[in-house]
Amino acid sequence: MQALSSDVRVLANQRLGSGCFLLSFERAGLVFQTGQYLSLRVPGSREQREYSIYSGEAEAQLTVLVKEVDGGLVSQRLAGLLPGDLIHVDGPFGYFTLEPARVTGKPLLFLATGTGISPFHSFVATRPDLEYTLLHGVREVADLALSCGFAPGRVITCVSRENGGTFHGRLTKRLVTMPISPETHAFLCGNCDMIYEAFDLLRAEGVSSDQIYTEVYF
Amino acid sequence: MKYFIMNLGCQMNQADSERVQSVFGQMGLERTDVEREAQVLGIVACSVRQKAIDRVYTKIHEWNERKNSENLITFVSGCILPADHEKFLDRFDLVFSIEDLLKVPDLFRQYGIVTPLSQFEGNVIVQGSALEPFWKVAPVYSSTFEAFIPIQNGCDKFCTFCAVPYTRGREVSRPSADILEEVKTLVKKGYKSIHLLGQNVNSYGLDKNGAELTFNQLLEEIGQFGEAGGYQFWTYFTSPHPRDMNREVLQTIARYPVLAKLIHLPLQSGDDHVLIRMNRHHTMDRYRELIADVRRLLPHATLFTDIIVGFTGETDQQFQSTLTAMKEFRYQMAFIAQYSPRPGAASARWEDDVSGETKKERLQVLTQVLRETSLEYNQTLVGRILKVLVEKPDRKKGYLSGRTEGKISLRFAGTDLSLVGTFVDVHIESAVPFSLEGTLVART
Repeated sequence: MQALSSDVRVLANQRLGSGCFLLSFERAGLVFQTGQYLSLRVPGSREQREYSIYSGEAEAQLTVLVKEVDGGLVSQRLAGLLPGDLIHVDGPFGYFTLEPARVTGKPLLFLATGTGISPFHSFVATRPDLEYTLLHGVREVADLALSCGFAPGRVITCVSRENGGTFHGRLTKRLVTMPISPETHAFLCGNCDMIYEAFDLLRAEGVSSDQIYTEVYF
Repeated sequence: MKYFIMNLGCQMNQADSERVQSVFGQMGLERTDVEREAQVLGIVACSVRQKAIDRVYTKIHEWNERKNSENLITFVSGCILPADHEKFLDRFDLVFSIEDLLKVPDLFRQYGIVTPLSQFEGNVIVQGSALEPFWKVAPVYSSTFEAFIPIQNGCDKFCTFCAVPYTRGREVSRPSADILEEVKTLVKKGYKSIHLLGQNVNSYGLDKNGAELTFNQLLEEIGQFGEAGGYQFWTYFTSPHPRDMNREVLQTIARYPVLAKLIHLPLQSGDDHVLIRMNRHHTMDRYRELIADVRRLLPHATLFTDIIVGFTGETDQQFQSTLTAMKEFRYQMAFIAQYSPRPGAASARWEDDVSGETKKERLQVLTQVLRETSLEYNQTLVGRILKVLVEKPDRKKGYLSGRTEGKISLRFAGTDLSLVGTFVDVHIESAVPFSLEGTLVART
């Protein structure tokens, strides 16, 4: 793994709607495993935050998916970056990775809320042949833009506050109706409450805790 | 010119401080433990708890008051958050990270203090031939029989309660050749207790992409060295992370007498939800498997842990899970801390919503369990003869104190200070929580 801790140039900053944007920047030789994250800050600022890598392992640039938070000390600065600006990148970090030896041939269940879909985008960009089921929980229909790019038959979108998507309600409400094999390897990424609830549901279905991988977004 | 260092925090900071002292010594400064005597006053700071940072601010305020009537130079180093770094620049004369230790003579020179080293722009004598980062600085060990050896710096785990990734940066492994050389040199000098230090010792070497020994291989090398030379010493390590701890490490410890039979495995919480919120990357099932391996492969090992009570959002039920785990694992020692948010750590952005009173109650409940399990274990040692490393005169007059291989404190009647720093056999005669008392049988 080739680590990086330096300033690199921003290549693109693309608005997705619903307060989210895709920020792309130079890779500068960084090597990562799909599912890992980076620590980012704007040069000159002390504040840094961690963001999962959205792009695939083989892509020429690095991309992260960022939700602009009201009063956010980092996300608002990142939102204002333009191509050519500098960004400080440190990483990669994390263990939310697909280990082929463990997961090949097993049913794969991906559970994401909001921008927690980011590492799954990287999974699929890295391994387009991956067989999986993705449940993506969002609050509003506009947030469904985040799950564009996934094969339609593999994604179940759950919209909690509006009618729309595949399912109206919280992700875990949909999960509880699904048959879950104890062989399943489940990857959970997003807010704590979803992860707690899904973790307990999966355990109750006989999925071993070492087959449940979590990445909490704060 | 005399210097005084206040060392806060963990053993890593102590190891850092020993290297600062080495550089100061080479600069011609003389160490004093009497603060009033010193003209150079410094702190090796810790950012793990707010209390430690508060002490830095209190002390520098006091020192700056003294500056009204005395010529003093103040410095701060160690674990410093970026936010505190900015504030320290206004309060201290010198603020340097430990990685910049070799630049200190030059900083003094810029400050107008000429030392033997600053005349040569900072040529600090280092171990080996190359001038490398601070690990190469030959430390001034604060003990003649116990040494703390950093094997790694930084942390990649990003536990949400901890700011270390932001103060020390990412995990960097010290070259194993340097570590082994330091271990061997110390053991040959008669050191009996070696502590390998790092934030996550068992991820040692992983940052080098296969170009460095793993932690298990490092232990194996130390074990083989001890066995080949017939040396008597105990090697400890702290802290391992349950995620990276594995059976191979335990098997290696079981194989070599110089690898001490003490496992310090931080639990932090006994509840899976809290562990998720802490971003610990392991579950209770995983922890339980590890403890089963410890009990099976190292049946006589002592088991230590770290626990945080009152972590943000910790419910009564979640605390009960920790209490259950404490009773299940029956630790010999637990370092139990009440949660306090640290600026820079992720959890500092969340509400510290468990009251101080509740945290205190939870601490007391766990401490009571610990007293019981400690006593229960210590009583099993009564009647046995144990090897003990004598450390110092005991607070009780006419007694010496030391520790067993499993780091259980012990005292025995004796006044022969030549025993300090040696192994002796002690017949255990009584036990209380956290300590033993016995009679000296023989020097080993």
